[in-house]
Amino acid sequence: AGAAWARGLLSWARPERWLPCGSLFPLSCIHTSTALQKIGKWEKKNRIVYPPQLPGEPRRPAEIYHCRREIKYSKDKMWYLAKLIKGMSIDQALAQLEFSDKKGAKVIKEVLLEAQEMAVRKHNVEFKSNLHIAESQTGRGRYVKRLRCHGKGMFGMMKISRCHYFVKLVEGPPPPPEPPRTGFDQAKEYVQQLRNRTLVHTL
Amino acid sequence: VLVLVRSPLPRLRALLHRCWGRLERGLWPAVFGGQSPPWGPALAVQGPALVPQGISVAGTPSLPESVVWMAAPKQRRTIEVNRCRRRNHSKLVEIKRNIDVCPECGNLKQKHVLCGHCYAKVKEETRLIRMEIYKKEGGPFNAPTVETVVLYEGEKPTEKDEGRRIIERARKRPSWFVQN
Repeated sequence: AGAAWARGLLSWARPERWLPCGSLFPLSCIHTSTALQKIGKWEKKNRIVYPPQLPGEPRRPAEIYHCRREIKYSKDKMWYLAKLIKGMSIDQALAQLEFSDKKGAKVIKEVLLEAQEMAVRKHNVEFKSNLHIAESQTGRGRYVKRLRCHGKGMFGMMKISRCHYFVKLVEGPPPPPEPPRTGFDQAKEYVQQLRNRTLVHTL
Repeated sequence: VLVLVRSPLPRLRALLHRCWGRLERGLWPAVFGGQSPPWGPALAVQGPALVPQGISVAGTPSLPESVVWMAAPKQRRTIEVNRCRRRNHSKLVEIKRNIDVCPECGNLKQKHVLCGHCYAKVKEETRLIRMEIYKKEGGPFNAPTVETVVLYEGEKPTEKDEGRRIIERARKRPSWFVQN
């Protein structure tokens, strides 16, 4: 039964189609260990490969995805720092984080430096300062419930929270900030909506 | 969010039960079938015994109604309302506009604060000088009453350093430590 299962697996997998003709061990490519548990979606975003660009197309800016999992910090408190650096250039973000008093600032700074290093080494980025932060998000990590002792024999349940931090660096200068919506813009939009009205279900 | 839970200690629970029972009995004596005489208005003059009043006295409300005076939320705050409060501009982290570049080492520094890198260098050198001083003095409370001068490699004491204590450091003079 085991042999039949293995043969069935082989006939479905067909490793001889994946590897070049000269390889000796076609079965070694099947990954059986559970070392990394589960590779998250953000880490897999670095693996996409675009087809080569045609000569006339504008150059596609390099995108670098990096994250850190299970940081011992609250996701709500980390969100304030993520909101601070969204849309900044990497140098400005590092400067702001260096002089921030929050615990998460140190962690995010390490993550940004790692991502910058990765960009220069692996993702063909020419200038390490020519990066800006396109996206920066926080996520909820695994929470653990613990007992917290109060006076008079009373107990409470507290949760020890952890968070993930995700960042996407894109090559190029940071995009200019959007101008705030004035009353004039809103009035123009309203007039445009009125002008777009037509008669429906008629001749 | 903390949720208070009664402790599982049986002795404490029994104690609390007894205290609560005594309290209840003290508050409504009539409810428990007249184990203790009900409190009624007492007359100083000898007269017929008062007929026990009705259980409900108009003055004090009974316990289940007296809890009304604690503040409690009436409705659950929706996530939209919560977001408006948490993401209000006053709660966001402000960007700092007082960051400059240190002219000595090139690291970033705040305008009103010393450069962290340069300060760390000075701190390390001061620690080594203090170790030399400790070696020379040999123990606590041996500080001399004269001034101290730090001399590096290849430096001789000048006529200004006549009566001063000299501390030798076995390295080249750092550029930031100006001599006199």
